[in-house]
Amino acid sequence: MAYVIGIDIGGTFTDAFVADEGGRVAGVKTPSTPPDFARGFLTVLDELSAELGVATGALLADTHYIVHGTTSTLNALVTGDVATVGFLTTRGHGDSIAIMNLEGRYAGLGSDQVQDMVRTDKPRPLVPPQLIREIDERIDHKGSVVVELDEQGTRTAVRELVAAGAEAIAVSLLWSFRNPAHEQRVGEIVAEEVPGLYVALSSDVSPRIREYARSATTIMNTQVGPRLRDYLRPLEVELRRRGFSGSLLVMQGSGGCVDSADAPSRAITTIGSVLTGGVVGCTRLADELGHRNVISTDMGGTTFLAGLVVDGEAVSTTSTVLNQYQVNVPMVDVHTIGAGGGAIAWVDAGGNLHVGPRSAGARPGPACYGEGGTEPTVTDVDLLLGIVNPDNFLGGRKQLSVELAAEAVRAKIAEPLGLTVDEACAAIYAIQNAQTADLVRKVVVTSGQDPRDFVLYAFGGAGPMHCASYAADLEIGEVVVPLGPTAAVFSAYGLAASDIVLTAELSSPTNFPPDPAEFNGAFQQLRSELDGRLAAQQLRFADVEYRSEADLRYTMQLAEVATPVPVGDLDEAGLAGVGAAFSDRYEQLYGKGSGFAEAGLQLITYRTRAVGVLPIRPRLTPVGPADGDARPVTSRRVFLDARRGWQDADIYDYRHLAEGHEIKGPAVVEAPTTTVALPEGCVGRVDRLGNLVIRYTQA
Amino acid sequence: MTVHIDENLVQDDAGAVNCRHCDAALGVAQQPLRDARVRESDPRTAGPSVRADSGHFADRPVVLRQTFCPGCLTLLQSEIVPGDEPSGRTRSVVAR
Amino acid sequence: MPVIPVAGSEKFANLPTTPEETRRIVGDSVRLHDVDRSVVDALDPLTYEVVRHRLTSITEEMGEALKRMSGSVVVTDCNDFDAAIMDEVGDVVQVGLYNTELAASLDMAANWTLRNRCARPGIAPGDMFLCNDPWVGGGLHQNDTSLFAPLFVDGELFCWTGAVAHQVDLGGVSPGSWSVGATDVFWESLPTPPVKIVEGGEIRQDIEDVWLRRSRVPKLVALDLRAKIGANNVAHERLRALCDKYGADVVKAVMRRTMDDAEQRLRAKLREIPDGSWSSVAHQDSARSGDRGIYRIVLTLTKTDDRLVFDFTGTDPQVDGLINCTFAGLRGGIMPVLLTMVCGDIPWACGGIYRCIEIISEPGTINNCTFPAGIGKASVASGWATTNVATECLAGMLDTHPEHRKRLMSVCCGTWDFALLAGVDQRGGGFVTMLCDSMAGGLGARSDSDGVDTGGLACIPMGRVADVEMNEFAFPMLYLWRREEPDSGGPGRFRGGVGASSCFIPYDSPLGGVHLVVSAPGKALPLAGGLSGGLPAGTQHDVLVRNTDVHARFAAGRIPASLDELAGTTDLVPTHHETDLGAADVYYTHWQGGGGYGDPLRRDPAAVAADVAAHKVSPAGAGDVYGVVVDDRGAVDEDATTTRRAALRRSRAGLGAEEVPA
Repeated sequence: MAYVIGIDIGGTFTDAFVADEGGRVAGVKTPSTPPDFARGFLTVLDELSAELGVATGALLADTHYIVHGTTSTLNALVTGDVATVGFLTTRGHGDSIAIMNLEGRYAGLGSDQVQDMVRTDKPRPLVPPQLIREIDERIDHKGSVVVELDEQGTRTAVRELVAAGAEAIAVSLLWSFRNPAHEQRVGEIVAEEVPGLYVALSSDVSPRIREYARSATTIMNTQVGPRLRDYLRPLEVELRRRGFSGSLLVMQGSGGCVDSADAPSRAITTIGSVLTGGVVGCTRLADELGHRNVISTDMGGTTFLAGLVVDGEAVSTTSTVLNQYQVNVPMVDVHTIGAGGGAIAWVDAGGNLHVGPRSAGARPGPACYGEGGTEPTVTDVDLLLGIVNPDNFLGGRKQLSVELAAEAVRAKIAEPLGLTVDEACAAIYAIQNAQTADLVRKVVVTSGQDPRDFVLYAFGGAGPMHCASYAADLEIGEVVVPLGPTAAVFSAYGLAASDIVLTAELSSPTNFPPDPAEFNGAFQQLRSELDGRLAAQQLRFADVEYRSEADLRYTMQLAEVATPVPVGDLDEAGLAGVGAAFSDRYEQLYGKGSGFAEAGLQLITYRTRAVGVLPIRPRLTPVGPADGDARPVTSRRVFLDARRGWQDADIYDYRHLAEGHEIKGPAVVEAPTTTVALPEGCVGRVDRLGNLVIRYTQA
Repeated sequence: MTVHIDENLVQDDAGAVNCRHCDAALGVAQQPLRDARVRESDPRTAGPSVRADSGHFADRPVVLRQTFCPGCLTLLQSEIVPGDEPSGRTRSVVAR
Repeated sequence: MPVIPVAGSEKFANLPTTPEETRRIVGDSVRLHDVDRSVVDALDPLTYEVVRHRLTSITEEMGEALKRMSGSVVVTDCNDFDAAIMDEVGDVVQVGLYNTELAASLDMAANWTLRNRCARPGIAPGDMFLCNDPWVGGGLHQNDTSLFAPLFVDGELFCWTGAVAHQVDLGGVSPGSWSVGATDVFWESLPTPPVKIVEGGEIRQDIEDVWLRRSRVPKLVALDLRAKIGANNVAHERLRALCDKYGADVVKAVMRRTMDDAEQRLRAKLREIPDGSWSSVAHQDSARSGDRGIYRIVLTLTKTDDRLVFDFTGTDPQVDGLINCTFAGLRGGIMPVLLTMVCGDIPWACGGIYRCIEIISEPGTINNCTFPAGIGKASVASGWATTNVATECLAGMLDTHPEHRKRLMSVCCGTWDFALLAGVDQRGGGFVTMLCDSMAGGLGARSDSDGVDTGGLACIPMGRVADVEMNEFAFPMLYLWRREEPDSGGPGRFRGGVGASSCFIPYDSPLGGVHLVVSAPGKALPLAGGLSGGLPAGTQHDVLVRNTDVHARFAAGRIPASLDELAGTTDLVPTHHETDLGAADVYYTHWQGGGGYGDPLRRDPAAVAADVAAHKVSPAGAGDVYGVVVDDRGAVDEDATTTRRAALRRSRAGLGAEEVPA
């Protein structure tokens, strides 16, 4: 029997999911083991074997590949536990990473923080001044050499950096994406001077115009690369020792994975791999359920994550912000918006009620946890509104205190505003849902889409308690709460079901359309680079798909729009088609009539993505049809909709439900991992895979 | 009520203003720096930040005018201004 | 020729008026939506918060839309624009986090339009008005072009939305519309009072042609016009949906309450602060090319209970030059720092905030000039100087309160370092661009920490500079460097943020060189003052080295790292200047940092040593200003520092070693 395994290591839990060719699946969850995450990796494999009833060695021997999602690179960057990097750049431009285009003072901050401008600061420097060296060399915007590389000066600089403590070297020279010759020669010089030293070139890591982000990306890559290498190598050795002969793959932020041998040189692409697992899981589940457009919402204790699947594919961005630095990494576009169940409700000096963005976090957590929290959170309100059962929260794993929750709401919200506790709770619940809807709408609308064309998936501990409300606000017709065997380890399922995805790009700014030969040549170059890298993955692929795009813009604009490019060589008519596709996409994003073709077009960056489809795709097993109607286990008073107030609602135990069961709101479904709220006007139906699908029968 | 006018000046209920570092008397609410020591010098004594002589660009004289606590010589106010106009920088906190 | 008053210009000398007066003038010509006080009072906290949040979100979306659609680096890469939502009479309910100076007088423009356009040509659904007349409002100088649009709900004018952005060139004698030789407004871009450029949802071709005809880059201006139309359309679509869902009355009630809330919270904060008055002065050197004068704006800020009075009595009369600003510029100068320093934690509903302040200013002065005074660089001249003087006074006021003093800053980057390039680009097309590198000015020091190095400008919470590669791709130039400049931050116990410099040559233009317009004051004296004894930031410093050997140095494998390494003729560039750069001419422009806070001799010596290591302060600056001696390894020499500080303490006060202070 052949297996595939997904292992998702987060800060708190390590999740694993396994599927075999015959359709058998299993998932387990164990605590993570920081700082030695590899220990948790091996432990969860043992538990997975036990769940399947086979020996770990036997499981590993038959496993084709393990897809690993890791938070370690992201954590390393956030905590600053990274390799000491020396930075080489063009003379005159060493300050670029300190100036940060000045946007580094506010990038990635919420509007409340940006508005409080006096208290904004730039982050700690990526590289201290004593580890930066400028070298004489210069290439111009056409890629022509203006000043030859000073090789002797470069050697001296490398020696100085190593003497100053550099454990790795990042190289980012102006215009290196147009002409990488100088960077490549610098790379050779580093290898000659200090054989084996980790070195990264910006023309490899991120060959894209705009030196600040390219340099920051290359430096961060260099900071985490050696650490990732030192983590993966012993882990792989240990897996081999235990009988594993398949491939160890690492998930990237792009939603596709890469071989563990290839990962350290492109370590920066693995940031966000944990965030993306959920979206990839959604993509696969959507595929199973036949949904083309999905809004993925993951509301946990401390964060709310939103991502999009459009036409069966996760929506990606080409860059992200990390620690206020701009980073060029193709990533599934996961927006961390506001806070999750831990979001704190508060009253400002003007007597206005707010929810979030501050969160009670995991410690002390909501007041009802009884761990010292005194500020009312969304979870406290969910409890007081009857949605959460204090005795059956997360399958009864945590006992909640109604009294503490009520006291927090009374003292901090109800009394200051002259409301009853019930009224205060109703307001907080509604504000939280409305804000969530605002933020999700913004995510959808700014990507040029209409929320009404989407199905919404809601997971995470707190998502299903609120999804029916925020989805209604977005005028979404159908909501899916994944509750099948994957529910507890949804991200790990996403990992096991992923593909190899490699991206190559090349900035070569030019007026559009260029000569077709130039255009086709650029994509041929990207294609051959990707073919080489795919071959190096040493995997058998069921299929390989290529997708190409070009970043175009109106001549005088600086905001580019990624525009799909058909596979294969294009003639002039083909290029005209690409131009037309850009105009359509532009109007979709910015509104009809906003385009200005008279200005002409420019092409900035070519990009190709290769998807190596892996041979085993986990299939989910049906839960079996229902025998008779769903029967509630009890009923209680709940408050799910301000227009209807308190109502009696039937309470269902998810474990008693089967395919075809229908539940009319107002009702609550208690599952081991979450609680689903169904306001009046909704009907929930259990589908063949055990998910609860919510539809609206009335507004 | 005692008011800290800024990092260096404190004003008491009666409106007397003193140095927060050495308690030297500096003035009163209406003129907090009345008794402070004022010195005018060439702007370039402010340090390397003044990159060129003002005479390249303007005909009026430009001075560095600094005000010091007479007790501890802490710098209380600095300005680089035309030397032919009196200081326009004043403050007055209502004593209460 | 001296500036003489122009009869007929009074119509445009706009001053803010009351909602009641506006309604009286509008009469029956346009039905203005209103909401009864009782609806405002009856708003529940839930609806208020939900709708308010959505209004904020709509303003953000407008900004995003404008930024993405615009064609000029100034907007897309430097964020020199803003957007706002106003109520039916123009009072601002929510302003975006971009250039708040620009948006601060949108209310005046929308309100003037109501009072002067409602009968003929009329104001109807689908209309949008364009304005770049700073006497009317909606911007500080002619380059700030606003486009504002009435939103009608059920036949009533429900509210206005507006977008404003800097346009790169709108005509006038010099490229970029910064006519550095101007003695009055007739040298400059033609001010355009509110004109209905979009009618019933369609651009009026005749009006657009009149608008674009004046520009050296009409296509770019056309693209930006569409960007602003798009931004207003986005807002209208969302606001209509909001009214459909909650009812227009409720949405309006939330707008009213948002402004009331901002007003009440600002008043509450002011009541916590001791009463008093704070005076300051802001200077500007040179009013136009060839002029060697120094001009001043004087402000006395008086805080009484919960009100602020900004009294500009004593400010110099308007001058023959391009540095004056109108009353809209004066207001635009005050608002940015009122927002960032006093309202950092209060909603940015300027309509409510304006109710707490009174402005006293004499028409005919440099920051309240009358037609036809030159105002071509008003935004960064007298408007900016007004910001500087308001910063000092407000910071002085905040400094008296133990909590609120955490939100004061010394003056940020004393002015805008304007350098404009024009000519033919590497692709053979004509171009005009304002070099926006100096967006990365230094922020003023705080009362408890240093100012942010290359952190921006006081008026733009979210400013930005373009990458060197983007500028080199877009324009015919090649940089020798762009770097932070040591010592440019005002010394103090807490240091002002450093400014920076760019040094470049014309490159790859078929003409060989480029045209250059410079307008950058702060050369005769620094413009970013310090506080509490802290020193001003450094001066602006621009140098042109003619006929250099830069290309020979390139060929020899070297990039010059300082001007000293170049052969050639070195000229200090005056405040206002217009010239051509040849292929071997090197232009160096060094913009300003932020003012310092506190006595530099009280700065922690370790912080000074760290600044030396990070090239924020030179070793000479450390010794001469901070009295800190750093050894070869970069550590503080404690003994030498103690001695040095003791000597400096006396010498800087003009005392000899033994002299007793008087």
